[in-house]
Amino acid sequence: MQKGINNLIEKFGASDLVERRSGLSFITVDQTKAVAAITHLKDIDGYTVLSFITAADWIEDGKMQLTYMLNNPAEVAEIAIRVMLERKKEAGESMETIHHLWPNAKKWQQELKEMYGVDFPTSPGVNDSFILEGWDDMPPNRRDFDTKQYAEDTFFPRGGRVTHDPATYMREQLDPKDPQYYTKKKKKDINS
Amino acid sequence: MNIKKLLTPFTAWGNVTKDPVTIKDPLNERPGADRYRGFHRNDVEACVGCGSCEDICENEAIDLMPAKDTKDGDSGLRPMIDYGRCCWCALCVDVCTTNSLTLSNEYTWISTDPEDFRYIPGIDKKEWDNNNDKGWKKPEPNYEFYPLKRIQPSHLSPEDRSDSFIEMMHGYSKDQAMQEADRCVECGICTATCPAHMGIPEYIKAIRNDDLEEGLRILYDTNPLPEICGRICTHKCETVCTIGHKGDPLSIRWLKRYIADQNPSERYKKILETENLVSKGKKVAIIGAGPSGLSAAHYLVQMGYEVKIFEKLAAAGGMMRYGIPSYRLPYDQIDKDIDYILSLGVDIQYNINVGNGEGEISLETLGNDYDAVFSGTGLHLGRSTGIPGSDNKHVYASPDLLRWIVEGKEFEVPENVVVIGGGNVAMDITRSMARLQMKKYGKVGVITTALEGEDKMPADREEIDEGREEGCIINPGWAPKSVEIDSNGVPTGLNVVKCHSLFDSEGRFNPQTDEDNKEFWPGTMIIESIGQGMDISYLDGKYKDQLEFGPRGRVQTDEYYQTGLPWLFMGGDIIKGPDVITGIATGHKAAVGIDRMLNPEF
Repeated sequence: MQKGINNLIEKFGASDLVERRSGLSFITVDQTKAVAAITHLKDIDGYTVLSFITAADWIEDGKMQLTYMLNNPAEVAEIAIRVMLERKKEAGESMETIHHLWPNAKKWQQELKEMYGVDFPTSPGVNDSFILEGWDDMPPNRRDFDTKQYAEDTFFPRGGRVTHDPATYMREQLDPKDPQYYTKKKKKDINS
Repeated sequence: MNIKKLLTPFTAWGNVTKDPVTIKDPLNERPGADRYRGFHRNDVEACVGCGSCEDICENEAIDLMPAKDTKDGDSGLRPMIDYGRCCWCALCVDVCTTNSLTLSNEYTWISTDPEDFRYIPGIDKKEWDNNNDKGWKKPEPNYEFYPLKRIQPSHLSPEDRSDSFIEMMHGYSKDQAMQEADRCVECGICTATCPAHMGIPEYIKAIRNDDLEEGLRILYDTNPLPEICGRICTHKCETVCTIGHKGDPLSIRWLKRYIADQNPSERYKKILETENLVSKGKKVAIIGAGPSGLSAAHYLVQMGYEVKIFEKLAAAGGMMRYGIPSYRLPYDQIDKDIDYILSLGVDIQYNINVGNGEGEISLETLGNDYDAVFSGTGLHLGRSTGIPGSDNKHVYASPDLLRWIVEGKEFEVPENVVVIGGGNVAMDITRSMARLQMKKYGKVGVITTALEGEDKMPADREEIDEGREEGCIINPGWAPKSVEIDSNGVPTGLNVVKCHSLFDSEGRFNPQTDEDNKEFWPGTMIIESIGQGMDISYLDGKYKDQLEFGPRGRVQTDEYYQTGLPWLFMGGDIIKGPDVITGIATGHKAAVGIDRMLNPEF
């Protein structure tokens, strides 16, 4: 087992360990102990590099998952700390910041606020636009964001585009005298 | 405005003579990573144009465009990608039912014409088409958006069914039907192949939505015999199901049965809005209460015609009742479908033959008394091999025996039977005789052969497999030579020789046999089941000259199954098929043709 895992389990109650390959483990830590666990990994166990922070929206389970990928250059090992936040219907989940451990964390956190709606209070510039200038809709990486509807509402369709429904097209090609539309119309006529 | 802001833009000119800090590209290649998701590739020969890629695309970047010939199982459409909208997510690749669509790792391409960035991969050739080892493909195995294995309904074990005519297949439970319906990608490729063009994706969707009344309405748009077809349809739709390219095709037939089974017959009229059909006065006669006649009757009565069916036998259903054993199609389910059609006001007269003999009603009378006549008299005559000994009275035709079983007629069931034929009817008589033997002797003694080899037998695979499970010996690839008859005039068995091939190099029927490789199969009853013929002698007389006859004596019709006699329409097995769903389709289309003739203003 790679360095630091035992501490995570014993001191911070970490669970659900998955050793993806040698030198890469995923483990889940409770939200209230996560920053303490990450601090311990950085200061004691040599995981001095924050590779990235990312999120995943488990909308069916009502969870918003954060994943902190930490790197230990001396051991050539990585640990991914998973934190499961209670998902809120209207976004606005909140997590402690870690920019005091790694200043570059503020940019990851700024992006997560914008794309997933997860807030990191006191993280510098967390409410500033990251790439979505002037965005006034739901954070677009949340699963209930309707990308297609947004595209239809926002962009005009390209001129000259046509498409064909396979079932209809095939019947027109192979049996142009398909009777079903006729009888449906006729039945309606009779009943009215 | 201060002077500094005014002059700042001009300070850039100071860099004109300095070396640029940017890299001179794209002169140097910077290939994408091995699994980079770049421009699309499509193997257009493997693609069937199902449109799943278009449906899943969140950005509406994909249109389906005509690019190949349309044929069964292939719409001929191919995806066109609009790179002004594509976000390279590769969901289109991940959902692809044939794995034909992939992404290359090429991401750079320059053109001054924006229209160039909308093209059909595989049809509009690109330099990355052959770069097959890089880019994004659907990871295999076990990376599918839908289960590849079908949900099998439960059925009676061979031990429990081998001496019984009780229905062997149990229908789907709600959970099973929901799970199976969830495998459908709603492409609709199946609908063109279904002779009746049933709204298959629509009724499967109704199952997913647990709206079985809507499902029933969709079934009756194209098929008024859903309980029957839900059990014994030849399910050509399943042979082209796009999920079948990588897994088991959808169990479309069992899903149809599920809808019909779950709707009680007493609610049919309310669900189908047929409680108050109004007759508009014109009358249509229908000869034969088989699938095509019942289908025509159903759609005609819905259109406001008075319909009367003339049926030769004592009950309606034709070959569905008298040709298909009840372990596949129970009589109460036949009755459920037929009773509903009759309840709409369709009149039926049983035990009446249309012909020119005594006690029969002539076609001329029907033509005079009715505004139009539809004939769907079916194929009821057994064909004979004509081999020596086949004229012996112990050599039977399968349609006769199957009908006798339904009618409860007594006939001798011997310990050893030989069946000649490899189609579904041959399997029906094989398995029926096995059941009768099991009841009488406690053992099965049926051997069945066909000219075709194992993989070319026309019968459904499950029929062959289930027959073997029940103890029948099915030994294909043999040609019958003669029936051996003893001195008492009773057959002792069948002489056969090995058959290597059925067709010559030009595709003509020309069986090649090895006369030295022969066997003798004992049996005191020989059953021929090599296809059926029709009896259309009722056409004899003054009308015959006005009809055109084609190959195999079939009457020629137009696309609405109208014959040379404008008031006479013909459909079902005597015109096309043979199978139930084709009969239903011809009856439906003939109904439309009759209405077009009698009410041309519509």
